[in-house]
Amino acid sequence: MNKRWLRRLDFTLIFAAAAIILMSLVIIGSATHINTAAGGNFVQRQGVFAILNVALVVFLMNFDYKMLQRYGMKLYGVNLVLLLAVMLFGHSALGAQRWIQIGPITLQPSEFSKIIMIISMAALLEDKIGKLNTLQDLLPIAAFIGVPFLLVLKQPDLGTSLVFVAIFLGMVFAAGVNLRLLGMLFGAGILVSPVLWHFLKDYQKMRILVFLDPNVDPLGSGYHIIQSEIAIGSGQLFGKGLFEGTQSQLDFLPENHTDFIFAVVGEELGFIGAAFLLLLYLILLWRGIRIAQEASDAFGMLLAVGITSMLAFHVLVNIGMTMGIMPVTGIPLPLMSYGVSSLTTNIMAIALLLNIYMKKQRLIF
Amino acid sequence: MMNEFETRLKVLGGLIVFIVMLLVARAGYLQVYRGDEYVRRSDGNRTRLVPTVASRGTFFDRNGQSIVENRPSFTVSLLPLTAPIQPEVITRLAELLNVPRVEIEAKVAAHTGYEPIRVKNDVGPELLTVIEEQSELYPGVIIEVQAVRDYLYKAQGAHILGYVSEISEAELEARKEEGYRTGDIIGQFGLERIYDQELRGTNGGELVEVDVTGKPVQILGQKEPISGHDLHLTIDWRLQAATEKAVDDQLALIGAKAAAAVVMNPQTGEVLALVSRPAFDPNLFVHGISEKNWQAINENPYDPLDNKATTGEYPPGSTFKIVTGTAALSEEVVTPTEQILDTGVYWLGEKGNAGGEVLGWLDFTSALAHSDNYYFYEMGYRLGVDRLEKYARMFGLGEKTGINLPYESEGLVPSRAYKEKYLDDDWYDSETLDAAIGQGFNLVTPLQAAMVMGEIAANGQRFQPYLVSKIVDADGKIIKEYKPKLLSTLDVPDEVIRLVQQGLRDVTKEGTAAGVFGAYFPVDIAGKTGTAENTQGADHGWFVAYGPFSDPSIVVSVIVENGGFGSQSAVPIGKRILEAAFGLDGSAPIVNANLKPRP
Repeated sequence: MNKRWLRRLDFTLIFAAAAIILMSLVIIGSATHINTAAGGNFVQRQGVFAILNVALVVFLMNFDYKMLQRYGMKLYGVNLVLLLAVMLFGHSALGAQRWIQIGPITLQPSEFSKIIMIISMAALLEDKIGKLNTLQDLLPIAAFIGVPFLLVLKQPDLGTSLVFVAIFLGMVFAAGVNLRLLGMLFGAGILVSPVLWHFLKDYQKMRILVFLDPNVDPLGSGYHIIQSEIAIGSGQLFGKGLFEGTQSQLDFLPENHTDFIFAVVGEELGFIGAAFLLLLYLILLWRGIRIAQEASDAFGMLLAVGITSMLAFHVLVNIGMTMGIMPVTGIPLPLMSYGVSSLTTNIMAIALLLNIYMKKQRLIF
Repeated sequence: MMNEFETRLKVLGGLIVFIVMLLVARAGYLQVYRGDEYVRRSDGNRTRLVPTVASRGTFFDRNGQSIVENRPSFTVSLLPLTAPIQPEVITRLAELLNVPRVEIEAKVAAHTGYEPIRVKNDVGPELLTVIEEQSELYPGVIIEVQAVRDYLYKAQGAHILGYVSEISEAELEARKEEGYRTGDIIGQFGLERIYDQELRGTNGGELVEVDVTGKPVQILGQKEPISGHDLHLTIDWRLQAATEKAVDDQLALIGAKAAAAVVMNPQTGEVLALVSRPAFDPNLFVHGISEKNWQAINENPYDPLDNKATTGEYPPGSTFKIVTGTAALSEEVVTPTEQILDTGVYWLGEKGNAGGEVLGWLDFTSALAHSDNYYFYEMGYRLGVDRLEKYARMFGLGEKTGINLPYESEGLVPSRAYKEKYLDDDWYDSETLDAAIGQGFNLVTPLQAAMVMGEIAANGQRFQPYLVSKIVDADGKIIKEYKPKLLSTLDVPDEVIRLVQQGLRDVTKEGTAAGVFGAYFPVDIAGKTGTAENTQGADHGWFVAYGPFSDPSIVVSVIVENGGFGSQSAVPIGKRILEAAFGLDGSAPIVNANLKPRP
């Protein structure tokens, strides 16, 4: 590790990501009652994995992201195998089959599969930039992402499968797809959505109905939304203070260290804290776009756009859900939600962005 | 080209700024603009989820007789909402309810949160009236109504019905995804456990906004509970009662403690009665079982919570000669007429009949009727363990029958493979002899013993045993109906089954059960006695039987643990069960009896 290597790091991005992770450890601690005897060891686990991941990032920095291009298709194959493995051997929780157990760790392959899809999509699109003008150009790419999309939807994990859609849209948009064509595809998607509705599980349908009207199921998923809104709203400008959120501490809020962690931020740190966290996300995502703009090649640009689309979609859907402007889909808040698979995926995504930044074209040295 | 990218990336950047601004705006709207309203809803007041527990499905016997119901139970509780409970209220309450003061004080001291503190369950109406009329003397005391399980016939059928209790933390963790919540009632044993999902229904409730004192301000949402489904059983409750009485009387008479009995229809697999002794009263569990009662159950060496009819594994003893006999005839290692001379002591292993009885020349049916060990040692020797194993498996031994009760045992079929695997030892011929007469590496459950006899009764057909005929919802609509399920048919010639049937009929005419059945039992019965040697104590007594012989409507299996000879311990029980079933005890017949004319 020499000084030049260090100089080429994107410190703004590192600062934003590190600040979010630190905030996450504090909030997870509060949500899991670390200050009481009954508290769990969630913070330790998340913290240990964050540190292990930083080591992984440093290691990955020694490689050039460009070599990933060659493995794009192989990774795609591995991805499908992993998703099929979940289907066959996975164990289910909360009515969904998403996890596989390896020793003491439960892995959620659909988390990693997001990154894999970004890499293989970028490899596929790299030489098609500006050549996405007809339906024949676009359909193979839609099918390419359609297979893992359906596998994940089947788990069932509606949230993650929609992340694939967001990645697809962001990347083909950046690759210069004909906008009329994209509009048509979108229209077709809306037309077939009543068909897809039939494939949704009852609880998924319920979540969407509840989003439209939380009073449909005030004791089930509507309960989450109502309680989450009360938690955030009652935080007011300055919040109730760490460990002081009544909604969070008395467990009115379910899943408050995972999917609903933003509600704890809102309740305990108030609008100031919530806005600060959102500002950190803005910096993070903004750097993602800048890195795309400055990337030295089309592959790097596409990677950066894919990663940024993924992160932005997660932020929008997760935080929107806790505030009642998005349906409950159960996707985590990047770098904030408790969960080893999600944390690792997102840190790897940030590492890729850093790597692309390091290899950018420099006019002045 | 590059320009086009630049523009598109700028558009994406703009979209991201827009998204974050949108989220900030929404947070501002909720927290700053509407903050006061949400503070009111979260503070002091809070929204409270008041569950309305769905009424649990009930049980009916095959004739529609109600067996298990729900009854209201009144619990006196303390709810310290505004102020701590005053000591004089505790004193008054302790006196009124006859609960030790210290016990209430301990509960109050340990209490946190908003849940009421339960002081006493199942409080009678007189005491409730006192509390209600003098409510000013009992501030903070509330009366809660709960529906609790009422097993109308106490311990009768306890091992079929099972019991319920509040869900434990471990169960909650394991079954959260199935929709269980803290405080839920869950089936723990028997049908209550197996059909818990059907019985429990869906809880409803109200999402209520309450003020500081806990009074409801407004209802934010409401959901009606959906009652659980009712179970209609194949059990005949009158026959169940008669079977239990027959078992209890006999146990008292001979001083044995544990037994099991299974009564089935061999032509359908319907279980008509199922008994295990000792039993327990499921009502003891409805409010959480008391320390004292739990100790009594737990320390009983005969384990009342063990359903011996399906879980107990015993050497089948001579009842296994049905299998050995069927195998010997089918494999043609003996002809029905071949006479074998019982000389007392078999050359290999130097064993004979219990008590040293020597029966002389015997053909197949008389050997079966008199349960001659010498003859069946010879059959075992001629067959070898592999063929014995094959036929035992054909009868369905060594595997679960698939009855809808939890914790069913598989039993054990004699085989070389088992001995190699678990004892790492070769199979010896002398062990084949033991196996042939139902000893050694040979275990069955009383249910499996009934199945073997039932297969002979139904001319080789093996029906899956079942206890529930239909599941009906609260509106009387049938949700699921269970029909007889044929599992397999014995792959043996018809004449073989007929010969075995004849041998078994002779058991009650001239053989080992003739003494109890007497010369003039009005229904033709096929039976088989057994005495299972037991290394831990006195022998277990077996009896399996079916009748009427020509068109069997009932098969019975009885075991008396440490009861000694089957003919003395189990046969009298079996006989009384058959008498009750055929209406020979003065009551109305329960199953088709085909009474033969009195001579």
